[in-house]
Amino acid sequence: MAGKKTIKTNDPHIRQLAALVGGANSILYLKEDLVAYDCDGFTIHKHLPKAVVFPKNTEEVANVVKYCDENDLPFLARGAGTGLSGGAIPLNDEVIISLVKMKRLLSVDMENRRAVVEPGFVNLKLTNSISDKGYYYAPDPSSQYCCTIGGNVAENAGGAHCLKYGVTTNHILGLEVVMPNGEIIDIGKEGIADVPGYDLLGLLTGSEGTLGIVTKITVRILKNPEDKQTVLAYFDNVADGSQAVSDIISSGIVPAALEMMDKTAIEGVEAAAFPVGHPKDIEAVLLIEVDGISAGIDEQIDEILKVCRNRNVREVKVAQDEAERGRWWANRKTGFGAMGAISPDYLVQDGVIPRSKLPVVLERINQISEETGLRIANIFHAGDGNLHPLVLFDARIPGQIEKALEAGSACLKVCADVGGTITGEHGVGIEKREEMRFVFTEEEIAAQTDVREVFNPKNLLNAGKLFPSPSRCVEVKKEMKAAANS
Amino acid sequence: MVTTELLGEMKTFLPNLKVETSDQQVTVYPQTESEISEVLKYCNENKRKVQVLGGGTKSSLGFPNETVDLKLCLSEYTGIVEHTVGDMTVTVKAGTRYEELQEYLAQHNQRVALDPSWPEHATIGGVIAANDSGPKRLGYGTARDSVIGIRTVYPDGRIIRSGGRVVKNVAGYDMNKLFIGSMGTLGVLSEITLKLRPVQKSESLLILSFPSGNLEEVRSFAIKLLDSMMEPVSLELFNPGISARLLDKNVYTLAISLEDVESSVRYQEELIQKLCPTEAELEIVSEEGAKQFWKKVYTTLPNGNDSKQKDADSEKAVSMKIGVVNLDVVKVIRESQLLSDGQAVTVEAHGGLGTGICQVMIRGSKEDVVQTITRLREYAKTLNGYGIVRYLPGSLAETVDIWGDKPSYYPLLEGIKAKMDPNRIMNPNRFVGGI
Repeated sequence: MAGKKTIKTNDPHIRQLAALVGGANSILYLKEDLVAYDCDGFTIHKHLPKAVVFPKNTEEVANVVKYCDENDLPFLARGAGTGLSGGAIPLNDEVIISLVKMKRLLSVDMENRRAVVEPGFVNLKLTNSISDKGYYYAPDPSSQYCCTIGGNVAENAGGAHCLKYGVTTNHILGLEVVMPNGEIIDIGKEGIADVPGYDLLGLLTGSEGTLGIVTKITVRILKNPEDKQTVLAYFDNVADGSQAVSDIISSGIVPAALEMMDKTAIEGVEAAAFPVGHPKDIEAVLLIEVDGISAGIDEQIDEILKVCRNRNVREVKVAQDEAERGRWWANRKTGFGAMGAISPDYLVQDGVIPRSKLPVVLERINQISEETGLRIANIFHAGDGNLHPLVLFDARIPGQIEKALEAGSACLKVCADVGGTITGEHGVGIEKREEMRFVFTEEEIAAQTDVREVFNPKNLLNAGKLFPSPSRCVEVKKEMKAAANS
Repeated sequence: MVTTELLGEMKTFLPNLKVETSDQQVTVYPQTESEISEVLKYCNENKRKVQVLGGGTKSSLGFPNETVDLKLCLSEYTGIVEHTVGDMTVTVKAGTRYEELQEYLAQHNQRVALDPSWPEHATIGGVIAANDSGPKRLGYGTARDSVIGIRTVYPDGRIIRSGGRVVKNVAGYDMNKLFIGSMGTLGVLSEITLKLRPVQKSESLLILSFPSGNLEEVRSFAIKLLDSMMEPVSLELFNPGISARLLDKNVYTLAISLEDVESSVRYQEELIQKLCPTEAELEIVSEEGAKQFWKKVYTTLPNGNDSKQKDADSEKAVSMKIGVVNLDVVKVIRESQLLSDGQAVTVEAHGGLGTGICQVMIRGSKEDVVQTITRLREYAKTLNGYGIVRYLPGSLAETVDIWGDKPSYYPLLEGIKAKMDPNRIMNPNRFVGGI
């Protein structure tokens, strides 16, 4: 029970770190406790941290960071560990600074549409805390019921509704940050806009925990739209479905969300926990949501129905009530996990393409599937071109993990080749370091690591993430394969 | 002589570069990205200071009395590089005039959702480099919400891309953000990729004037409006001085813009009529009339080229941008009016109640203007905000601090500058803290 634990090691670093966070109850250092922290949502690569500390406030974070800096101990920050690219995996025996105890909602100011949270505060809890007053927090990654806003800032998280409302970076007004030397800085004080100077808020958001550790976040909150309506449309071929997407956008409608799933993805979601009865023989389903002023929505829904019919839709329907709408969204939002119902293992990818290239990209992904012999399901934020190919494989069959990794990488190459990018919302992390070369030259990568040096000159904070390192890349790939096989 | 030597040398490797010389000041007009790159590379190697120019509308923003060796003007580096209609993205060369870009996009029923000052003269590069925005940022955000990719020519001539051409992208650091609002101190923006929005189907402007002068009433009305489900794209408060100029009404006025499908616009008009305090007078201006009003607003702030223009009135106006917490805009506008009432200065001011950004113009004698700038800046500071001086005639530049206090994290800003422009050749001394 809650008795005071004692430190059972002579490692002086562990003893010191424990003292900095308030004792043995706030640190893990035994191997059996550390195993839970050897990876995040990217499970192919695993490595044990040196220790995990649980600071309760900014000062404790700063003190731990200062200690690590002075003693050249690598360290990194971690939220809920839902990241899909390995950003919180301790590659270098890091001290993990877990921010889960810093989970308070510090203030809400409806009149000025802002809220201040600690980094460990869970995304969905913010909306739940203010929904009774008619407000919400817009970024809605599928993991929003458990992921933290601190992690969302690190990854610049997106979600299904970012087509109209933007991603995390568009909603961050201010940050308190512990710099890699332990100094505490305050950017965008009070959430005031356009503060003179280079836009560090924008730079830090999405820097995957390599430039500083966020300890307080001022976010923008929005008023709920008056009304929303959701449409489901079934297509017999993907080309018609993607053309409908383009037509909707070019008709001047800005949908709140515009999602697509292909046949294999539909098979998965229908076999999993939230089936909604999608026909088994269709090639594409679109989930389209329009929100805003009630008086203007019918007009837009009519336009969407017309567009779908012009593109040979087999069936199109409008959600009749909130319950039906909720079922459709649960079916979509649990789409990744649903692949577990039709495949022992799956690998999620996160490419982005110019919307208009969808048919040709899906065709090439099909070819990759045929070449590797692995099925690939596609779940797609079609409105903003963010494609999630899900490579289905069976880790028990020797060689399949490697094949799946290769197939995933090949999908990203296709995205990059048509003018897109390798990640829209999951981040580069460990997973896509090499693929950075698909989109950036060595010079361009160096321009980015130059900026890292300004913030993180000793590179003790979350080293080895985001950028390919020329000398190590081959070795790490091998290591990844070895780890995958073990 | 610096000028002759500079010109002579550059001509040896850029024989076709267009050059103008007047009063010993050399201005070059590159027409290609490689010309920009060659010019910068030469200047960097020889430690020549460069000022970057677009349409010149912000040429007095943040400028020093620092002399530069060369002006690099992008006015002939123009044109659309790529516009993919179906993807709603456009890539454009930095010297393209903002209004020209919008006119081109309008043929496809699309637009960039920014409303900067002087759209006819300003270039897209200048708008992005200075992070300019207008009252409709309430509905559409600012440059950081629209820019998805930039090609930058670094001071050493390297061409570095950041972001990309897709609307969602987290590959690597979001370096675009560093260049937006950097005032050309990190490099020359060459090509900019923006995400687009459809042209609004219907547009309406509701002008609410408050003859009683009761700002509490304005504030509580704004809170009610913001707390409703309505979706105004501007909620801009004008002080009596500027209302008189723009609307011929010498009272506090709120300009509420609605942009949506027609049925939604009409519905919101009705709701606002119901919500409108009885003491306030409401006027509704639709479509073209609304556009004309905003056009006027976009040309009220002093233009950096003013000295070349005939409008003697705006020649003397000094302008400030003040940032505070959204609803504190009411306080700033009130303070500006008090200063105007009690002093030898006239102050015109407007600000967004949902954005926290105010624009203030001050006219008067040199001493009074300087004193007013200081007082407004101090006032903003009491609200945790800031004030910068956007436009300042040359004679005042020596006496007034343009950017105000350095932020506590200033060493990071300086560190970024030192990495990217180690010889400090780009727009030297133009930005915060002398960057």
